[in-house]
Amino acid sequence: MLKSYFPVVIFILLGAGVGTAFTLLNNVLGPRRPNPVKREPYECGLPSEVKRNFRFGISFYLIAMLFILFDIEVIFLYPVAIQLKALGTFALVETVVFIALLLVGFVFVWRRGALEWR
Amino acid sequence: MTIYLSIILFLPGVAGMLALLVPRRLAGWTLVTGTLLTLAYTIVMLARFKIGGGMQFVTDDNWISELGIRYHLGVDGLNLFLVILTALLWVPASIAAALREWDRPRLFMMFMGLSETAVLGAFMAQDLALFVVFFDLMLVPFYFLVGMWGGEDRVYATTKLVIYTLAGSLLMLAAAVALGVMATPAGGHISFSLATLAQHPLSGGSQYWLFILFAVAFLVKAPAFPLHGWMPDAYREAPLPVILVFSAVVSKVGVYGFLRIVLPVLPQASVHFQELMLAIAVVSILYGSILAFSQDEARLVLGYSSVAQLGFIILGIFSLDPKGGQGAVMQMINHGLVTAPLFLIIGYLAIRAQGRDSLDWMGGMALRAPVLAGVFLIVALATLAMPGSANFVGELYILFGTFQSKIVYGIVASAGVVLAAVYMIRFYQRAMHNPVGPQVESRDLALGPELGVIAPLVLVILALGVYPNFLLHRINAFAPTANDRTEVSVIK
Amino acid sequence: MTTLLIAAAKAPVIDYKGISPLFAVAGGAVIVLMAALIRGRFAQRVLVPFLTVGALGAAIGLSIWNWHTGDSRPIVEGALAIDPLALGLSLLFYITGLATVAFAWRSRALRESGTGEFFGLMLGSIAGMTILGSAENLITLFVGIELLSIPLYVMCASDVRRETSLESGLKYLVIGSVGSATLLYGLALIYGATGHTGFAEINNAIGNSVNLTDPLLLTGIALAAAGLAFKASVAPFHAWTPDVYEGAPTPVTAFMAVATKTAAFAVILRFFLEALVSAQEQWAPALAALAVITIIVGNVGAIAQNSLKRMLAWSGVAQAGYMLAGVVVGTQLGLQATAFYLAMYLFMNLAAFGVVIARERVSEHGDGLKSLEGLGSASPLLAWPMTIAMLSLAGFPATAGFIGKFYLISAAVDGNWAWLGVMIVVGSMLSLVYYLRVIAVMWMTPLKIELPGRPRRARREVQPVAGWSPEADPRAQPEVLLVTLIMAAATIFFGIVPSPLFHLAHDVGTSISALFS
Repeated sequence: MLKSYFPVVIFILLGAGVGTAFTLLNNVLGPRRPNPVKREPYECGLPSEVKRNFRFGISFYLIAMLFILFDIEVIFLYPVAIQLKALGTFALVETVVFIALLLVGFVFVWRRGALEWR
Repeated sequence: MTIYLSIILFLPGVAGMLALLVPRRLAGWTLVTGTLLTLAYTIVMLARFKIGGGMQFVTDDNWISELGIRYHLGVDGLNLFLVILTALLWVPASIAAALREWDRPRLFMMFMGLSETAVLGAFMAQDLALFVVFFDLMLVPFYFLVGMWGGEDRVYATTKLVIYTLAGSLLMLAAAVALGVMATPAGGHISFSLATLAQHPLSGGSQYWLFILFAVAFLVKAPAFPLHGWMPDAYREAPLPVILVFSAVVSKVGVYGFLRIVLPVLPQASVHFQELMLAIAVVSILYGSILAFSQDEARLVLGYSSVAQLGFIILGIFSLDPKGGQGAVMQMINHGLVTAPLFLIIGYLAIRAQGRDSLDWMGGMALRAPVLAGVFLIVALATLAMPGSANFVGELYILFGTFQSKIVYGIVASAGVVLAAVYMIRFYQRAMHNPVGPQVESRDLALGPELGVIAPLVLVILALGVYPNFLLHRINAFAPTANDRTEVSVIK
Repeated sequence: MTTLLIAAAKAPVIDYKGISPLFAVAGGAVIVLMAALIRGRFAQRVLVPFLTVGALGAAIGLSIWNWHTGDSRPIVEGALAIDPLALGLSLLFYITGLATVAFAWRSRALRESGTGEFFGLMLGSIAGMTILGSAENLITLFVGIELLSIPLYVMCASDVRRETSLESGLKYLVIGSVGSATLLYGLALIYGATGHTGFAEINNAIGNSVNLTDPLLLTGIALAAAGLAFKASVAPFHAWTPDVYEGAPTPVTAFMAVATKTAAFAVILRFFLEALVSAQEQWAPALAALAVITIIVGNVGAIAQNSLKRMLAWSGVAQAGYMLAGVVVGTQLGLQATAFYLAMYLFMNLAAFGVVIARERVSEHGDGLKSLEGLGSASPLLAWPMTIAMLSLAGFPATAGFIGKFYLISAAVDGNWAWLGVMIVVGSMLSLVYYLRVIAVMWMTPLKIELPGRPRRARREVQPVAGWSPEADPRAQPEVLLVTLIMAAATIFFGIVPSPLFHLAHDVGTSISALFS
């Protein structure tokens, strides 16, 4: 039974090996000519405006979190899409219920004012 | 007229509940009425009791069939007088309580009534689980009675009392359940009926550990020597009517348990541990007597004398001899009968000594209070088992039984009889004679409230002294058979 | 490969009648959440609690409608099943939920976090418990546990402006996650060893295709047991209990103490007696050791507590030990006794918590033992339920606790675990010290009343002559008083007439057919 996992091991080893090899090779072979601009954190070529002690507003996190939640929940629709034929009406009803629950969540978030930028 | 034991059992409890509802000043007298009615009913029962008739007035119903617990009450030669003693002694206790002012009197009377019901239940139960229920239930009212109305250190005393005794009774609970389950044949319906349990004795090994658990519970309750730690505090702090019934009646429940449960159900173990129990008994007698001699507080004199007296009773039980068993039952009654008036007398003495019940504050009252002195003397002589008292007959039977089975313990225990005389006479002397105490007020007994309460008890003591056969005949009917069974199994 | 999947997939058969109680609570959670969006005092104070009660009432009704004796009936393709064990214990969750509604109604936590959110989360948690109680499958088990726990983490922190409440929520979150992770690891190993997720299949596999001493299986059982022990606060995994119980808003504490513990025991019973009963000789000694440790640690820990909530938390640990003894026995009788004790546990604890809630709102001592001082004369209506609850927890006769302990001990002796029965009584002896202390404080201290609501410096202690402040009168919180009195009355009633509950317990005992053999 364990034999069937052998390709996985090979894959992991291969991935780790290739990744390490490239990093090492780059370090050894690549030319190094540093200047101050190159040492800046990359931000679309412009000098960075963001200070080290900059804080994002709490609303940012809130909205980002809500986005992730609703975004991920949509993923659950994919398996149903694949099996829709086999499952028939049941899947349709389930999907509708699922989306309705999402909607409830959305209405709640919206009415509670979590989407307003403060 | 059929006798319903349930009426005896629940009448005091109901009276207690009624006392909660009536106006404050009537609460006490409601309870007194209840206890008097109970007493009257038990006397009717005594009249109907057939000598040698075995278990009588039986009530046997299902209570919790899933656990095999039955509501099974019955009276026979073993517990007849204990039931009557209970009903009798709660009367003076409740009268004494009704005559006093209490904080929250209705609650007090309710707990007094409840406690009588619980004690009666323990005496009448013929089902092991039911016995355990009442045995444990007894503690609840006493916990509150001592803790709410006791002296300075009442909370400490009552907590100690309950933890000691409940530790014992919880062990007994485990033992009782184990006994019931193990004695049930596989697939059978579980039963805790004492008669059934006695017919199916367990194998030796399990009998031994069960015996230890039961013995601890009963010895704590008595109290016997190594397990009496709660006694001094409880005796010192408890209100007088409470300690009266506790010492006179409740302490008998434990030793009664030996006769009712341990000997018939665990016969092999009883023989196995006979010497240990006899040793405990003898040590209790000597220890209790010596300490009773050295106490200055009147209540503790009685407390330690109880340890000694209950030692005698345990001695009689574990002589495993018919005579000894009979003497033990008789002595349970006698001790209850003398302890109650002694506590009443302590109350009277304390009133005359400015509320203090230390012997140092008493003394010299005999001359001005001849009736009090006379009553005290009668009771004191009965306590020390003067020939002519029922106590004498009881102790004689006990010693007789012990000499029959284990002569060594009998000889040592005989010393206890002498010691009893020493401490009782000292008690009497220091309270009644000697130089007059510093603030003693030598009034004689007031005719109504004081003499009226104590006189009937003294009359009962005198009557039984004259005619101890009244007890012996009826006790005869059962106690030997309890022990016969033991002997039979010993021979086997 | 794709064709194979398509061929295998088909719509699951769902018994909608059987699953209806779950629909009631889960649907109730959604409705409550929506109703909470309506502004206005009426909606917040009356409508939302009323809807919550309605959902729970409906769930109770549907559970009773579903009641049947005998073995489990699958309702969702082997994921969930209903049997008397699931239904009976769900009834306990719903009743606790109802009590919690009453307890929380006037609480600050409710105002701080929003009525709809609080009750919605509570219903969600109850839905998780219902799933947990009827889980027939490792995966459903885990889903249930998470659905139960996550709302609880939030509820613990619902008194958002009190630091200790937040601390309690965070602590519970961290420790609860560790517990869940441990459990999940264990479940994964069990799946690895047996190759099945269904309880019945696992039980079949053990001893047949899997060796009893298979290290993978044993490690799995050990880790799963540890994970469940976290939830049931069984020592040595109990350390979070006192802190979390103390910090959480008291209605939430009551809910956790009763419902969560019942749910944890529901799953412990089902998991060990249905999925792992063939391996009983492997896990029974370990669980017995846990039970003994729990009994001792819980009772010793409770002795020194001055906060009633902490005391009840430790006492809950000890009680978990007693109930674990019923699981160890692994017989039908043990199952019945444990289920029976859980019901008794509900009555006594809710009565006690009701008094704590009523007192902590008016007393400056909060939930300290001192808040009960002199309660016996000041308000007997609160003192008696507390007294009854304490006596019952200690196992005095004529109370429910006595019958429960009696049943547990007889189950233990019957299953040849007599020494475990003795351990139960030893634990009860230790417990007397702290239970009696509560009674002593209520009845045996001289009566002095602090006037509530006064600044500390101006605090006066008065004899109750001129009148007892109106706020401190328990009748000012009739809903708490009512629940407390009902629970205390039930404690006494079932202590004297336990037969109705025995019938239920007997039905519960028929749930797991593997135990008959």
